[in-house]
Amino acid sequence: MAETVRMTTLVEQGIAVVGERNDLRRRLENTLERLRDPSVRVIVVGEFKQGKSQLINAMVNAPVCPVDDDIATTVPTVVRQGDPASAVVLVPRHGGSVTESDGGPEAPVERQSIGLDELADYVSEKGNPGNARNIVAAEVSLPRKLLAGGLTMVDSPGVGGLGSSHTLTTLTALPSAHAMVFVSDASQEYTEPEIRFLHQALRISPNVLCVLSKTDLYPSWRQIADLDKGHLEAVAPGIPLFPVSSELRLQAARLQDTELNDESGFPALISHLRTNIVGEAARLQRRSVAHDVLSVTEHLRLALQSELGALENPEGTPHMIAGLKAAKEDADALRKRSARWQITLNDGIGDLIADMEYDLKDRLRRIQREAETAIDQGDPGPAWEQFTSWLEQSTAAAVSDTFVWTNERAQWLARQVAVHFSEDEVALPTLQVSDTGGVLDPVADIQQMEDGRMGAVQKILIGMRGSYGGVLMFGLLTGLFGLALINPLSVGAGLMLGRKAYREEQEARLKRRQAEAKMLVRKQVDDVVFQVGKQLKDRLRMVQRATRDHFTDIAEEHHRSLTESVAAAQKAAATYAVERDMRIKEIRNQLRVVDALSSGARQLLDRSPDPQPTPSTVPAG
Amino acid sequence: MIPSGIAGATELLGLARGAFHDDADALAVLDELDARLAGPLRIAVAGMVKAGKSTLLNAIIGEEIAPTDAGECTRIVTWYRFGHTPRITLYPLTGEPKGLPVTRVDGRLVFTLGEVRPEEVERLVVDWPAASLRDLTLIDTPGIASLSQEVSARSTAFLLPEDSPAAADAVIYLMRHLHASDVRFLESFKDTAAGQSGTVNALAVLSRADEIGAGRIDSLISAAVIAERYSKDQNLRPLALGVVPVAGLLAQSSRTMRQSDVEALQLLASMDRNSRERLMLSVDRFIRSDGPGQLDPETKSSLVSRFGLFGIRLGVALIRGGTNNPTDLAHELARRSGLGQLLDTVEHLFQTRAEALKARAAVVGVEALVRGAPKERAAPVEAALERLQAGAHEFRELKLLADLRTGGVGLGPSASAEAERLVGGRGSSPALRLGLARDADDRLISETARDSLQRWRLAAENPLTEPRAVEACRVVMRSCEGMMAPTAAVR
Repeated sequence: MAETVRMTTLVEQGIAVVGERNDLRRRLENTLERLRDPSVRVIVVGEFKQGKSQLINAMVNAPVCPVDDDIATTVPTVVRQGDPASAVVLVPRHGGSVTESDGGPEAPVERQSIGLDELADYVSEKGNPGNARNIVAAEVSLPRKLLAGGLTMVDSPGVGGLGSSHTLTTLTALPSAHAMVFVSDASQEYTEPEIRFLHQALRISPNVLCVLSKTDLYPSWRQIADLDKGHLEAVAPGIPLFPVSSELRLQAARLQDTELNDESGFPALISHLRTNIVGEAARLQRRSVAHDVLSVTEHLRLALQSELGALENPEGTPHMIAGLKAAKEDADALRKRSARWQITLNDGIGDLIADMEYDLKDRLRRIQREAETAIDQGDPGPAWEQFTSWLEQSTAAAVSDTFVWTNERAQWLARQVAVHFSEDEVALPTLQVSDTGGVLDPVADIQQMEDGRMGAVQKILIGMRGSYGGVLMFGLLTGLFGLALINPLSVGAGLMLGRKAYREEQEARLKRRQAEAKMLVRKQVDDVVFQVGKQLKDRLRMVQRATRDHFTDIAEEHHRSLTESVAAAQKAAATYAVERDMRIKEIRNQLRVVDALSSGARQLLDRSPDPQPTPSTVPAG
Repeated sequence: MIPSGIAGATELLGLARGAFHDDADALAVLDELDARLAGPLRIAVAGMVKAGKSTLLNAIIGEEIAPTDAGECTRIVTWYRFGHTPRITLYPLTGEPKGLPVTRVDGRLVFTLGEVRPEEVERLVVDWPAASLRDLTLIDTPGIASLSQEVSARSTAFLLPEDSPAAADAVIYLMRHLHASDVRFLESFKDTAAGQSGTVNALAVLSRADEIGAGRIDSLISAAVIAERYSKDQNLRPLALGVVPVAGLLAQSSRTMRQSDVEALQLLASMDRNSRERLMLSVDRFIRSDGPGQLDPETKSSLVSRFGLFGIRLGVALIRGGTNNPTDLAHELARRSGLGQLLDTVEHLFQTRAEALKARAAVVGVEALVRGAPKERAAPVEAALERLQAGAHEFRELKLLADLRTGGVGLGPSASAEAERLVGGRGSSPALRLGLARDADDRLISETARDSLQRWRLAAENPLTEPRAVEACRVVMRSCEGMMAPTAAVR
């Protein structure tokens, strides 16, 4: 907490110093914005009846999430720090529908304050069957030391059930989470749907940790844990597994029994969340704040130092101005459309759009073929309902595959552009840039992805996250949860239709029905290609714009700093001796302020040891 | 007059035998169908991985013979049928069947496949001298949604064959909660097994019911509520005849209870309540802590792995309530585990109409045979097939039952429920069909059947009744007549 305050003060000082430089001010204001929302969202997911809600209850030691023998949670519940304890539910404002086409984060919602004890009436299956009250989410604030670091737990409705509305609400929250806790109970090892879900989820949220719940109930939980560890190793190396017992933890809190608490397995889980998840988020936050402030001070110092140099050493001034001008020209080149990073970006997006369209059409065409073969083999009449749901699910899966793939490629492209930008970036000449660490260490920074420089990728992610609307949202959701969990038998369309008898049906009528069915399938596939293609294209255009604006801003900052430096140096050359001394003093003072700021930022940086750079991954396809 | 179910099917098989007398492959199929008609009903136990299939199978058999484990265990389709001497036969996908040595570890069978890999085995057949297998052949299947795709595929191929009648007459489907994949499987099973005569022949079991309530002593009550909700679920209703909660582990262990188990439970029961509850906070604590008495960790570990915390709590409660006799205790535990209800339901729903179910399997088999045969050979068999299918009342009952459960036939809700009961949806014995007590005498049955007949006749004659509903009324009337007939003859 204290650190956040310190960082905020530092940034505010920075804003005070920048004066007329609006571009730099904007940058610091963004930083401040990020600092104000320190929450680290950890979403708890899993199939239903695995003890997700109880896990959160045990963690905060309060019955905030309703627990029942039957399916309990229908609405995602957010548990975060707050004093006094309170609860609110988010309901759509009248006339605004949140789930359908117009979706997105800006959908109008209203916050209604409710009593803590009323919560069960709103979020549980019993009090609110099938979420008839149409609640988007519930938020509970509790005064807890555990949550003080900004840790926010999100309880999600179980997936894999019959109500697809549950799965819908779960996934909308997932992409914006910092980490995901995957809960499975100790009654059995991971099932195929669970592993498939893990695979998919890893592509969206790389921070996954697994919890083996209910160890108090099953004698062979150690064996299950070993089996699960084996499965996890096969999914991706390094996913931790924590066996816990919520019952024991709650008992321990009731009896004030530390031994029981240790036995529950929670201390290990909580310390992992603290150090690895919250700690990591805080470290990244610190790094990016430090970087923002440092880079602002460098820009400020450039103009001041140029002027100072010109004042103190008039004979060197023409030489310095020439150097600055050359740098300025280089910086100008970066702003032009012909700059290498611009070309990379424009070409990349063009290719990506073409690939995406091809990919989408190809996948859907395969589905259409399968559907047509199935229709030819049987009578589509009796099984039409099942058939359409099969069609919906397969198209949804195809769309989600395309989406995830496009998303990965777009991120990769943004990273590529960043590399090119950094390679061509002009070092600000009169500065000792070499000691500012990360600023000129682009590759490492880029791999870290969360650094100030990588704001572009963040923006893209946020942009994409904020826009799961309409078909796309449906597609991604059912694709990830629906198909992965619904269809382990891989019941094809053929099985569904082929089984139905049609011998009695007259040939002609059958033919007509088949033709009709095929036409409907074709129309549906066409619609999907059209709508989804448009959405994805818009999305990619947005990626392009976000990336371009981000880097153009940086180039602009360089340009402006250099221009001002040249102007300052030229002005200095024409200054009278008396004024000169005054000005030197003034500049020295200003420089001292800037130096104090930058040393503050550097301290921040020093306290966060550099992590091991991870190799950047290039998505397949 | 068209001969009913099994007689008609035998006749049909005879006819087919004549038509295909020079076709060795066809004759082999017919032999198999004949054997199926003569043998006991075949019930498959299916479900997602780790639903407790083998455990429940052991409970039904009454002996711990099927291997079970904490990890995924059953990997081959295994048949358990009655035989005077224990014997295990392996049927490979290609080649001759061969016998396997009968070895048991801790009472459980160990299948030593030798050089044969599991994926080369079509099935294992275990002949076992257990009384409960005399009129029931049980088939253990590998779990659906298993992590190893081939294992799941094996189950799917067995239960949902592409082009032959399903090898099982009925299925007990185990689920822990209703997952979408459960529904998907049951849908597919209904589509295949039913074939053209369409019926519902699956019974859903809410297995591991004790775990639903986290091992609390009222777990099964809570499980029963959930089972009730599922049985009304509109997704499940057309697919399963009912939902029964069973605590499989307890059912299995109570049927194989040992004297040492009883002694351990009695020791536990003699402890004072608070220290016992503290002991039973978690299985780890239970095994690790000292006492009570001379109970060593191994005994406690075996006790908890065989009964679960719920079983121990229930056993202790029963002993404290005065059930001290080991036999009574075992019986009471078995009853409370839900096994009794399951066996009753299987009896009502499947055993009493075993003939119809078996006959239907024969009909579907012959149908598949005829479909691929030359026209002049198939024609007479086809005609007989048509006659049997249209005429046999059992089939029409099964069909109506399926229609009633899948979408209704235009009767009101209360009339639909009554029709369902009368055609045997809750059990096939006359008393159950008429909603009477199980020990109702013949006169009462006859009178009630006559009343029902009268009511349904009026409904059928009502001009406002839809044609579809009239058809249904006729079937119900015929069922009522059938119930009157045997009692009239007695008089």
